[in-house]
Amino acid sequence: MSQIFGIVGVFDRPEAVTDAAKHLRSLGFRAMDAYTPYPVEGLDQLLRPQRRMMLPLVMFAAAVAGAAWGYFIQTWDEVLNYPINVGGRPHNSWPAFIVGTFEFMLLVTIAAGLFGFLASCRLPRLYHPIFNADAFGRASVDRFVLCVEARDPSFEVEHLRRIFERFGAERVAEVPA
Amino acid sequence: MTVLIDLPREAPVVGPGVTLRSLSEEVSNRVLLPNTPRWWWIGFALGMALLLTFVVQLIWLFINGVGIWGINIPVAWGFAIAEYVWWIALASGGTIVSALFFLTRSPWRSATNRIAETMLLSAAPCAGLLPIMHLGRQGLFYWLFPYSSVMGVWPQVRSPLWWDFVCLLCYILMSIMYYYTGLLPDLATVRDLARTRWKQVFYGVLALGWHGSARHWRNQQTVYAVMSAIMAPMVISVHSVVGLDFAGGITPGWHSTQFPPYFFFGAVISGTALIMMLTILVRWGYGLEDVLTGYHLNALAKVMLVGSVMLGYAYVWEAWGPIYGSDVAERTQFFYRIFGFYAACYWGKIVLNIVIPQLLWLPIVRRSEVLLFSISAGIIVGMWLERFVIVIPSLSHGYMPSYWGVFFPTFWDWAALAGTIGLFLSLFFLLLKLVPIVSMSEVREIVAKERSR
Repeated sequence: MSQIFGIVGVFDRPEAVTDAAKHLRSLGFRAMDAYTPYPVEGLDQLLRPQRRMMLPLVMFAAAVAGAAWGYFIQTWDEVLNYPINVGGRPHNSWPAFIVGTFEFMLLVTIAAGLFGFLASCRLPRLYHPIFNADAFGRASVDRFVLCVEARDPSFEVEHLRRIFERFGAERVAEVPA
Repeated sequence: MTVLIDLPREAPVVGPGVTLRSLSEEVSNRVLLPNTPRWWWIGFALGMALLLTFVVQLIWLFINGVGIWGINIPVAWGFAIAEYVWWIALASGGTIVSALFFLTRSPWRSATNRIAETMLLSAAPCAGLLPIMHLGRQGLFYWLFPYSSVMGVWPQVRSPLWWDFVCLLCYILMSIMYYYTGLLPDLATVRDLARTRWKQVFYGVLALGWHGSARHWRNQQTVYAVMSAIMAPMVISVHSVVGLDFAGGITPGWHSTQFPPYFFFGAVISGTALIMMLTILVRWGYGLEDVLTGYHLNALAKVMLVGSVMLGYAYVWEAWGPIYGSDVAERTQFFYRIFGFYAACYWGKIVLNIVIPQLLWLPIVRRSEVLLFSISAGIIVGMWLERFVIVIPSLSHGYMPSYWGVFFPTFWDWAALAGTIGLFLSLFFLLLKLVPIVSMSEVREIVAKERSR
């Protein structure tokens, strides 16, 4: 058999993809992913039930670090490096440092969110074998694509083709690696 | 009684003819097709002409210093500061519509948020440049960065002016990241619909290889929701700190605890007004009547009306404080403001921001694009007047009568105003040509929802 990445079924309704994915999982398929033009609720949980979202935790950790960084910059300036008496206020006049601390905290959190998001999506990655799939361009417009990858131990083209067609796929195609 | 009847309760958010395919093609084609509409060229040319004014103004300013403007003692803060506040309020409106109404899951936000954020990214540089222009020695602006501590120059971090610098810097950087997170799936759609090689490469690189897998979407949804929850308080803090710039000074007319929310109310109304104007422009110019429907304009008009009422509340307190309080200077200042040399500006802002927008209570007004456009334009002028009234009459009528004086704008003051408008228009029209102006991935969800209903 020639090298292939997997087999795709192209559907025109999100429910069809969800049903097909549910069925394939019950048959024991694990190496699969769905490509949709808009987020389909619950699809990722269906495909990867064990997956825990780390992103909010990463962003929270970044928020703590950012706040510490922002406060440190100001304390270092005003308390440690060059303490100067301004209007009789204490050197470590923390209420006046809150705004700076807050802004640095949010900046670091958003940055961690963006870069964490890209890292968890394995982006940037300009080439991916799924781009070879027939009519994959429509998965970002109006079609819902389900792909079972060849690395799945029970991968078998004809079997999958029949399943995809049973769930109403308008086309089924092999994806060259 | 169509005057008083609102849109029907089940009015569609998107027109009935919109499908997933027509939506993607209509929006993407605006950036992909080579034929550019004439109105775009007119708008862009106007922007570039005014931008040229800006460049000339900047060169003249760098040669001669801030004395080319009308500012002097006692009015040492002039147009540059008033317009800085004006621009940052317009920019903040973009985040308010985009982030705050994402958190409330308002369906109308999905088609207008890209316009709002594009406006924000075009207005923020105008806001950022004005205070730098206002510095005596513009080349040393980087002394505001904490970096200068290492050079032996210590910025005063207890000052609202430094807070403001930090807020603005963080705000612009965060807005770009927030914008990009929302834009990524749409760039992938444009990449997939592009037919010419260089456009495929250009948008392919920008889309970073996004392929819309279930994992991608879930990450994007999670991170976008958290980001929105961060951007909403962020924008409130930015504009409140701008208010603190003034409230932190003891000048009569500035030294007021209500300034942070007062400024934020101004951001709500003026930002929404500019989004309204741009939405009407894009809707008409790009023929997106089915995607940007009366539903959206109606919703924006209601937000504008709420902003107007909130601002009216702040105006009442602005008057009540000096009248009820015992500070003679505050009272003198207030009566100077409403009856003195700049009285026309004061009453102008009342009429344009509070009186005329009350028409929006009538549903028939909220259905008329011409009226909405005119009222919005009036609000933007009115907000400019408000910033003028806050900054200039306060300084010109301080504690000591021997220290009173008036400010007249010079030619170069007006050139700076025209120039920042040029910068805004150039950036906005450029982004209009380069990025999809409606968030396709989000409107798709609405189309799917409406279709299944």
